[in-house]
Amino acid sequence: MFKGLSLTFMLLLSLPAHAENWPGEQWSNGPTVTGPALQALETYAFPPRDDSTRKGIRTDALLVIRDGQLIYERYAGPARADTPHLTWSISKSLMATVLGVAYGEGLFKLQDPVQTFYPPMKQHPGVTMADLLHWASGLDWQEDYEYAPLKSSVVAMLYTRGHQDMAAFTADHPEYAAPGQAFRYSSGESNLLSAALKNIVGPARYPDYPWTALFEPLGIRHAVWETDATGTFVASSYVYLTARDLARVGLLMARDGRWQGRQLLPRDWVAFNREPFAHYQAHQDDSVPGGQWWLNRAVAGAPQPWPDAPADTFAALGHWGQAMYVIPSENLVIVRYGDDRDGSYRHNDLLKLTLKAFAQQVQP
Amino acid sequence: MSRQSVVRRRPLSTLLVILLIALLGWGWQERVALWAFPDIISAYTAKEYCSCRYVMNNETEYCRSYVKQWLPTSRFVDDSASKRITVSGMGRTHSAAWVGERQGCRLNP
Repeated sequence: MFKGLSLTFMLLLSLPAHAENWPGEQWSNGPTVTGPALQALETYAFPPRDDSTRKGIRTDALLVIRDGQLIYERYAGPARADTPHLTWSISKSLMATVLGVAYGEGLFKLQDPVQTFYPPMKQHPGVTMADLLHWASGLDWQEDYEYAPLKSSVVAMLYTRGHQDMAAFTADHPEYAAPGQAFRYSSGESNLLSAALKNIVGPARYPDYPWTALFEPLGIRHAVWETDATGTFVASSYVYLTARDLARVGLLMARDGRWQGRQLLPRDWVAFNREPFAHYQAHQDDSVPGGQWWLNRAVAGAPQPWPDAPADTFAALGHWGQAMYVIPSENLVIVRYGDDRDGSYRHNDLLKLTLKAFAQQVQP
Repeated sequence: MSRQSVVRRRPLSTLLVILLIALLGWGWQERVALWAFPDIISAYTAKEYCSCRYVMNNETEYCRSYVKQWLPTSRFVDDSASKRITVSGMGRTHSAAWVGERQGCRLNP
């Protein structure tokens, strides 16, 4: 009895030593970092900005969280700390996170056919929720943006033939492969997930669900998520968050889906997000697809996509240079917003320079 | 007269006819995409300007340059009272409007 009590007492004593930092209304500030490594990072991320040619690296925001504290932030161009910036395809990873809360409520399973929740997918009865999360529905989708506007499914979905009902537009695509067998990046599939969520949580909860399930528990007070004309969230493209608020989702992911005392996302959900899709083939994309997140893993005989970052690095990535990198082994979350109109920006360069400036120095 | 001699006597015309048939065939096959193509620039400009201006709260001048693409637009109206943008280009007109705090902007049908 006495032994048990003293053990409890010792545990209580040791708690402060393991205390974790979490943001309240604001992020608390960690120790400020200066020096040549930070200068090198800023030289890379914030070169003189050319708004007439729009060439080169054009960072709007760069923010670094270490151990749950804000240790660096800088804004450029039109962006400020309170700018809800367009995240483009980071929205896909955010929809996956919202779905994770519904998964934690026991409302669906990964192997459930999508048609259970979204009847227009009866045309493709074999496609499961896991297949959509892996971008592996087998639907014949063309993802090119402005360089091939005529053939682009995504341009047609967002702006012309599909914009009123993006999920239905996607479901009407023919199949090119069996479901679950082949990776092909598709914005349409993220919107199918969004349409499925409507019946997963029910139409009454759906319009508020991203807020009640994710944004409010994380203390995100100002999030915008645009919908199509049927009220389906445009999960492929249209979430707007400040860099500080997006980093809250990064911290949630870095800590395996736990927010303070609450396991908001089941651990096996986060593990699924971070597991490479088994049928991914080398160099099909710039990084390795997990469950609507991008992984820095050496798979299919190819080296790590970002060789200067740890293998446990994973990311949410969007058009024109939007990125959030999560590095659990370094307790780092990095948000980078941009307006890159060419291919100058390199994830590996930013990761290398950020790690050099901010990673914990290992004491000998 | 054999068919071969027509080809021999008018090689250029024959080639042009074949190219024209191929082009028409491609155009028919891609008719849906081709018909929708001129809508892109005005719809894109209206939607992304609306979000740039009324969701991200950027300045008008910045947003005009932010949405600039290689295709030109001919008419641009930003009605700030109703937060509604109307854009014309390539013979088509589209508008987008701010819907609300959480829903941001949406392209109109």
